[in-house]
Amino acid sequence: MSALPAGDASSPVLVPHWLTGADRAELTDTIAGALAAATAHPVATIHLEDVLTELHVAAARDAVWPASAARVRLATGWDADVLPVRLSAAELDSVLALPMLRPVLRARLAGGAAR
Amino acid sequence: MTAPFGRSALLQRLRGASIDVADLREVADAVLPALATGGLRIAVTDRRGGAVVVLEEEEHRQAVALADLAEDMAAGGVPATTEGMAAALAAWVAHRPVTRDAARRCGIAVLDWADARRTALRWTVAVPRGRATVTWTPPADADPAGAERIRAAARSRAAEVPLDLRVEGPVGLWSHLRLPLLATAVLAHPDRLLAGLAEAGLDMSDMHVVVTPRRPVACAGAGVAARLAGQANEDQVTLPLREFAALPWV
Repeated sequence: MSALPAGDASSPVLVPHWLTGADRAELTDTIAGALAAATAHPVATIHLEDVLTELHVAAARDAVWPASAARVRLATGWDADVLPVRLSAAELDSVLALPMLRPVLRARLAGGAAR
Repeated sequence: MTAPFGRSALLQRLRGASIDVADLREVADAVLPALATGGLRIAVTDRRGGAVVVLEEEEHRQAVALADLAEDMAAGGVPATTEGMAAALAAWVAHRPVTRDAARRCGIAVLDWADARRTALRWTVAVPRGRATVTWTPPADADPAGAERIRAAARSRAAEVPLDLRVEGPVGLWSHLRLPLLATAVLAHPDRLLAGLAEAGLDMSDMHVVVTPRRPVACAGAGVAARLAGQANEDQVTLPLREFAALPWV
């Protein structure tokens, strides 16, 4: 009955990147800084804005349906503030293209689905 | 009556616990009399096939074999201790069917799954009962006008349910701190929902709402709602805000 069915063929595949609260705060600040400086390509700007949205949506998703991420945290031993941030390939590329992204966070994001 | 004990039978079989009927009888004799309040009468009677618990309240009467209750409790993972069985009996009594009078006096309009497939929603009348919320099912021979009056009152009462609003960027999350099913009461009054979100700084013309009964109600613009719901592994229904009022009643 969903008006917005999951798995729509036209929507890009979103890959989870498991980030701590500190990681997500740093990523938010880094993107906000890049957007304020207005140095990114207009298309990349749209993707970066979508990443900012996803950082909020990831927290909302965990508030509504906490069980699935909790199972992963239990299995891996990760802290309670580790959440999956789901990004498309284009969104991830736009983040990785930011020169001010710290190497630690860049490595974590470039590492794919695993934290 | 819905099963109040939780946990699958398979999991419990793996754990190997069981509830002894004689032990349960002892606990039932001790705790059930105190649970019979108001118009509710509870009795444990001996019959040829074994002891039976009888609940009677206004138009409802049900008799359940203690052995069946013990089996359900074991399947639901109830600890085979006095405290565990006492708590399970209290939960079972709390989940008894709602009477018409209780629905009329304190029902609240909420959304619940239309059926076990969990793909569609229906409005229903929920009655808070301690730490549980039980929904009212009109009997097949219910007077339609009377049922409609109960629903209208429940819809009015939904406006007064205290709800918590949390904002996560472009997403507003409505929840009830103690009784999760009541979160959807906010959808009975879209004006209340919009006013609350506007006050919190969220103003969106294409408001969509993502609903999984008993979980927080998520409100966002169409694109954000699609992103939120599209990546969920859980059952949910996403609709434009204006469409909720037209959903049918149980």
